[in-house]
Amino acid sequence: MNGGGTAIDRARARLLGPAGLDEAMIGRALGHLASGGADLADLFFETTSLRSWRLEGGRVTNGGFAMRQGVGARAAHGGQVSFAHSADFRESALDDTVRAVRSLARAGQADQHPQGILLNCHAGEHALYPAIDVVLVEDASAWIAVLERIDSLARASDPRIVRIDANVRVQDTTVLIADADGLLAGDVRPMTILAVMIVAETDGRRARGQAGLGRRAGLDGFDAASVDQLVAAAVTMALNNLDAISAPVGEMPVVLGPGYPGVLFHEAVGHGLEGDHHRKRLSAFDGMLGERIAAPGVTVIDDGGIAGRLGSLGIDDEGTPPDRTVLVDDGVLTGLMQDRLNARLMNARSTGNGRRQSYAHLPMPRMTNTFLANGRDNPADIIASIDRGIYATEFDGGQVDIVTGRFNFTTIEAWLVEKGKLVAPVRGATLIGVGREALRHVSMVGNDLAFDTGMATCGKQGQTLNVGVGQPTLRIDRMMVGGQAG
Amino acid sequence: MSALLTQSEADLRDAAALAVELAAQRGAKARASVHHEGIAKIAVRGGAVETAERSGTQGLGLTVFHDGRLGSASTARFDRAAIERVVEEAMLIASHVQPDADADLPPAQLLAFSGPAPDLYVESPRSPDGLLEAAQVMDAIASETVAADNRLRAGESVAVATEGLWALATSDGFCRSIQRSNDARWSVMLAQDEGGSNSAFCQTQERSVDALLPAAVLVERAAGRARQALGARPIASRRCPVLFDPRTAAILVSELAGALTGNAQYRKMSFLPDPIGRAVAAPHLDLSENPFEPLGLASGGFDSEGIAGSNRAIIRHGVVEGLFLSTFSGRKLGMSTTGNADGFYNLRLTSSAPSGDWQTMLDMLGTGLVVTEFQGGKTDPASGNWTQAIKGLWVEHGCVVHAVTDVTLASNLPAMLIGIRAVGLDVERQGAIRTGSILIDDMQLGGKG
Repeated sequence: MNGGGTAIDRARARLLGPAGLDEAMIGRALGHLASGGADLADLFFETTSLRSWRLEGGRVTNGGFAMRQGVGARAAHGGQVSFAHSADFRESALDDTVRAVRSLARAGQADQHPQGILLNCHAGEHALYPAIDVVLVEDASAWIAVLERIDSLARASDPRIVRIDANVRVQDTTVLIADADGLLAGDVRPMTILAVMIVAETDGRRARGQAGLGRRAGLDGFDAASVDQLVAAAVTMALNNLDAISAPVGEMPVVLGPGYPGVLFHEAVGHGLEGDHHRKRLSAFDGMLGERIAAPGVTVIDDGGIAGRLGSLGIDDEGTPPDRTVLVDDGVLTGLMQDRLNARLMNARSTGNGRRQSYAHLPMPRMTNTFLANGRDNPADIIASIDRGIYATEFDGGQVDIVTGRFNFTTIEAWLVEKGKLVAPVRGATLIGVGREALRHVSMVGNDLAFDTGMATCGKQGQTLNVGVGQPTLRIDRMMVGGQAG
Repeated sequence: MSALLTQSEADLRDAAALAVELAAQRGAKARASVHHEGIAKIAVRGGAVETAERSGTQGLGLTVFHDGRLGSASTARFDRAAIERVVEEAMLIASHVQPDADADLPPAQLLAFSGPAPDLYVESPRSPDGLLEAAQVMDAIASETVAADNRLRAGESVAVATEGLWALATSDGFCRSIQRSNDARWSVMLAQDEGGSNSAFCQTQERSVDALLPAAVLVERAAGRARQALGARPIASRRCPVLFDPRTAAILVSELAGALTGNAQYRKMSFLPDPIGRAVAAPHLDLSENPFEPLGLASGGFDSEGIAGSNRAIIRHGVVEGLFLSTFSGRKLGMSTTGNADGFYNLRLTSSAPSGDWQTMLDMLGTGLVVTEFQGGKTDPASGNWTQAIKGLWVEHGCVVHAVTDVTLASNLPAMLIGIRAVGLDVERQGAIRTGSILIDDMQLGGKG
């Protein structure tokens, strides 16, 4: 693994040097970008390289490598944002990109920063993840061996396992952010995601299981024990689903297991507390700051500063360090997540939630690691409290309609609970509800807070990001469950 | 050259040919695909510009075939150093993976060295100024619409123009390029009453500005959809007939087509295993594919392997006649490529069963559920188990009674396809797919109680 140097040093070396750029040139470009009375102007340089290996049918016969780089230039006048991006950021191309923004902004006035903007370098050191490279040629054979081990472990675990797909994606992203306030900040963001999907079959019935691990680390972040656990989780899920019965239909109590099911709060609450949705008065929580929106005991937090998690950022994509924002405090709505643009327009401060998929996308308020804090209940007591309902431990994704607050999730691992006992696994139960109603119906919160395994992603306006989600076991008294059982 | 593009077709062909040549120098056969797009997008809301964007994207993807092994790599830069790096990375991957006898270039005689290439490009005004004007016109109409109905609020009005180039070169001497264009407009409307609020949008997308829906139609449809969803309420769980409007019907057709792709078939991740010659849908249904429709949104003269598709029946009288195969997936299945390495071209679902326009379809539904939007759910590709949370309308005796929300539909796709009673004449195009509304007689609806 290559290390050494601060994130900003590495970002400068990797992005500016090869393009023949220096800070004076960036300062001049920013001066042009900010002229014409821009309230906010920034340049976002990015380089990403990615290597992947895929196992299918017992063999690794496929792999890929990709490298991309580019710059995004943004200028905001009030709420009007002009944006252009380019894969080329040598000086002349950077000037063209800035000119395109000025043309879109119709910024015809005289240059207010003829000397350019003097940049102050922020070291931006943090302990959330190391500034290392993980896309390493010498790791190729070792990663292939990991995938082959996954295949043999899964195959040996049960004769009903008929298909194993596994893949690993290793990614290095380096960003450099410069803005018209003189900030120059950088970050090096390593990431590895290992995923396995399993199909089990018996008596003509087929079922799927899946599991994954995402870390801000390279090969050494994936020891044998964690790989064994990953395979066991996917195999167990597939075998359970083989015996799954149709999910019941109707309104019933639902227990959500610890970890990834916290995505329900991400969707049902989190998106509705992003600053842009409030500025445009689109959120179902519009105008409710300070009001009780959830049962007592419900505390929801967004924290971009949790070490090692994929939702964490040394700096966000506007150069702001991560914050810990209490969104809901003991049931009361207390905070919003902001980027710089929306914070300025709402007289607030950025909470370090300005994120973007890449240089080719505009930043906007996005979640980092969003979780429900621990309560006091024993998880076993929560399940035992259910007369008839659903216990959901893994979801296969979910969505929310920001305006109505309506959300839905489909389970990939869930059980029917009767008289406090898990009766049988159920297949494809869809849980639907409205964020504020679900919050009010939380009646028990467990003491076993856990986070997802690093596989959570979030989509907003066509941009996909890695996030963290988490929660302890909890009971929601009333939720609509849709399934095939009549 | 277009105002949105910074490279020419010749630039792209040169880059692709260079990548193939550099791979050949290292003893590998290769295929290189190079694309470049220029995009302009303007969003206006409440009389003011919200975002104005200009973007240029580009990429070169290379696949090398060496000693029965395959490696792929891509870059966003087209300079020689970047292309050399890509060749090196692809060769590195090929040196590590295990061989696969099916991973090779298609036979050269199958390549579409010449032959029909449908028009995919139309010159149209695509400057940011033109887009600004288009978005402002939509926004002004939206403001008028809102002023006439106090339940409505205008969301953003967006105009987007895209021009693109694509070049493909292979070791067999294939080197062709195409130019394509895409224009889109959409309007977002919000509606609110004492029962709550919702948002709706309407989009139009074509290869030329002239073919787009007029701004007034777009805004009125978005407003109509937002109004229509007001007063939505849940209904009790039941079994009932269900009518999927043309937009949601197109999603069902794409699920069907997805199950007939070579990848789904050879990976046994299809709910329609070994489908050729088998009745998988109601006997009155036909599904046809046309790659060559002029200005079709999913038209093309050749796929990313250089193979042409064909005008053909995929399903005839409910029986599967064809799959969507690449060279690789075809070999895995012991079949020949159908020129569908990038998925399906333009598809059309038709039916010989009695049907009619939208009102006729509502009459045929009688009392049941109309699905207007899938809010989220999942299809298990292996089993076909299908669940969706939906937005829709409750209909009695052919008349809409109220909007519906917080309900789910759950079924099994093979059973749904067999259960299709009629396909409406209210045909709409959603991307690659043309279909009318789809009526299914009996489905399980999950609601309150």
